Amino acid sequence: LYRNTTLGNSLQESLDELIQSQQITPQLALQVLLQFDKAINSALAQRVRNRVNFRGSLNTYRFCDNVWTFVLNDVEFREVTELIKVDKVKIVACDGK
Amino acid sequence: MLYFEFEEPKLYRSVIEDVINDVRDIFLDDGVDEQVLMELKTVSWRKGRNGQQGTLINQKNMDPEKEHGANKIEEKKEDENVPVLWENKLMQSRAVDGFHSEEQQLLLQVQQQHQPQQQQHHHHHHHQQAQPQQTVPQQAQTQQVLIPASQQGQLDLFSYNFDMKFVILKVKTNTLAAAPQVIVPDSKLIQHMNASNMSAAATAATLALPAGVTPVQQILTNSGQLLQVVRAANGAQYIFQPQQSVVLQQQVIPQMQPGGVQAPVIQQVLAPLPGGISPQTGVIIQPQQILFTGNKTQVIPTTVAAPTPAQAQITATGQQQPQAQPAQQQTPLVLQVDGTGDTSSEEDEDEEEDYDDDEEEDKEKDGAEDGQVEEEPLNSEDDVSDEEGQELFDTENVVVCQYDKIHRSKNKWKFHLKDGIMNLNGRDYIFSKAIGDAEW
Repeated sequence: LYRNTTLGNSLQESLDELIQSQQITPQLALQVLLQFDKAINSALAQRVRNRVNFRGSLNTYRFCDNVWTFVLNDVEFREVTELIKVDKVKIVACDGK
Repeated sequence: MLYFEFEEPKLYRSVIEDVINDVRDIFLDDGVDEQVLMELKTVSWRKGRNGQQGTLINQKNMDPEKEHGANKIEEKKEDENVPVLWENKLMQSRAVDGFHSEEQQLLLQVQQQHQPQQQQHHHHHHHQQAQPQQTVPQQAQTQQVLIPASQQGQLDLFSYNFDMKFVILKVKTNTLAAAPQVIVPDSKLIQHMNASNMSAAATAATLALPAGVTPVQQILTNSGQLLQVVRAANGAQYIFQPQQSVVLQQQVIPQMQPGGVQAPVIQQVLAPLPGGISPQTGVIIQPQQILFTGNKTQVIPTTVAAPTPAQAQITATGQQQPQAQPAQQQTPLVLQVDGTGDTSSEEDEDEEEDYDDDEEEDKEKDGAEDGQVEEEPLNSEDDVSDEEGQELFDTENVVVCQYDKIHRSKNKWKFHLKDGIMNLNGRDYIFSKAIGDAEW
C-alpha cells in the first residue's frame, strides 16, 4: 500500500538503479520491498500520533476489493498547527481492520 | 508545520534504518555486499528528498547546508549501498528534512569501508569489520580532510584523496571481481560533490575511486545536475561533475597490470576551475566515450590497451584531443523531425504520391496540410489556462491510508481514516487518525 509514497518510490528507484548496475537481483529487490511494507506499517502504527481533519466535496468514489478510492475537490486539511488547502486530492484507503 | 518538520525526518529515518537492518540479512544471504545496502539507503534517501519541493522552514536552512556539506552519508553503519541510494533519493524529494551532520560521518564511514572492502573481495561483513582497523590512519586523514574540504582546502583534500585512491586503485586491479564494491563510495562521493560546491579534492576523490565496475550510474544531484559515473567494462571509471569547483590537477593511471588484458584504467580527471568559471552545463557519457559539455570537453576511451594515450588525453584540460576513437565534441542534439516539424516531410510525401493519382488522396493530403497548418496555431493556443492549478504544483495530492469506517447518508459522506501518509502540494504529512466530511 505504501509503496507509492515518497519514501516507497525513492526506495524502488534506488533498487532499480542497483538492479540495473547488476548489484542486486530483482528477487532481492522484491524481498527488500516486502520488508519495507512490514517496516512502514509497523512504523506508522507505532511512531505516529497525530490527528488531521478534513472537509471538502466528493467528486468520485470507488470501492473495489475492499479498497476505497476517493477523489475530493477543494479540500481543506486541518491539523492543529496548520491548514492545507488543495484543489484535488486522491485518497486510497485499505481496510484497516 | 513544526510537528511535521521535526517528526517526519525522524520517522522516515527510522523506517529506512529498520528496513535496511531487516534487509541486511537478506542481502548477506543473497551474497550481496553490504556496501550495496548502504548505497541503496543513501541514494534512496536523497532521491526522496530532492524529488519534491518542500518549503519547510527548517528544510530551507538545511538544504543549502546539506548541499554545502555535499550529500554526506548519514549512517555510520558498515553496510552500505542500499541505504545510501535510498537516502539520497529521499533527500531529493525535499519532502523531508535532511540529516546534515550524520551525513558527513556516514561519508567518512563509507570511505573507510570502501578501502577495506576492496581488499576483501567478497569477504563477509565480519571480515569487513576487521579491516577498517587496517586503514584507519588513512581514513583518519580523509575524515579530517573531508569536513574542511567542503569549505576549503581543496588542494589538501585532493592530495589526500589522491593518495588514498591511488592505493585503492592498486588494490583494485587485483580485485576486479570486487568491482561492485566500488559503487558505494562513488555514489556517495558523487552525491557529496554535486550537492555542494565541492572542492576539487572531492571531485578527485570521486574520480579516483577505483574502477572495475561495469554499470553506469546516473545520479541526479540536488542541484539537478546529472552526475554520471561511467564504469567501463575494463574498469575505467569516469565521473563527471559539472561544478565550479571541479579541479583538474593530476591524472592517475596506474598501470598495474602490465600488458594486462583487463587492467583497469583509472584516470583522475580534475578540472581546475579558478573561481568564477561557469559550471559545466552537462555531461554525456557514452559507453565508449565520455564527453564534457561546457567548459571542458574530453574524450576518454575506455579501452584498456591504451592507458598512455588516454593519460595524455586526460591531462589536457579544456581541450579536445582526438584519439583513436572519434570524439564527439558536443552533446548530441536530438532533433525532432516528426509532429509539428513534419510539415516538410508531408509535403514531400504528397509530391511523391501525386503520381499515384487519386485526386482524393491529394485532396486529403492538401486538406491534411491545411489542417496541419491550421492546427498548429490552434494547438499553440491550447493550454492557455492555468495548468498548474491554483496550487501552483503539479503533484496530484495523494493520501495513502487505512480506513476505519466510511459512512454515507444520502449524499453526505463521513470518513474515518488512520495511519496515513499524505503528499499535499509537494510536501509529506503523516497522521495516525483523520476524520473528514464531504458532499457528493
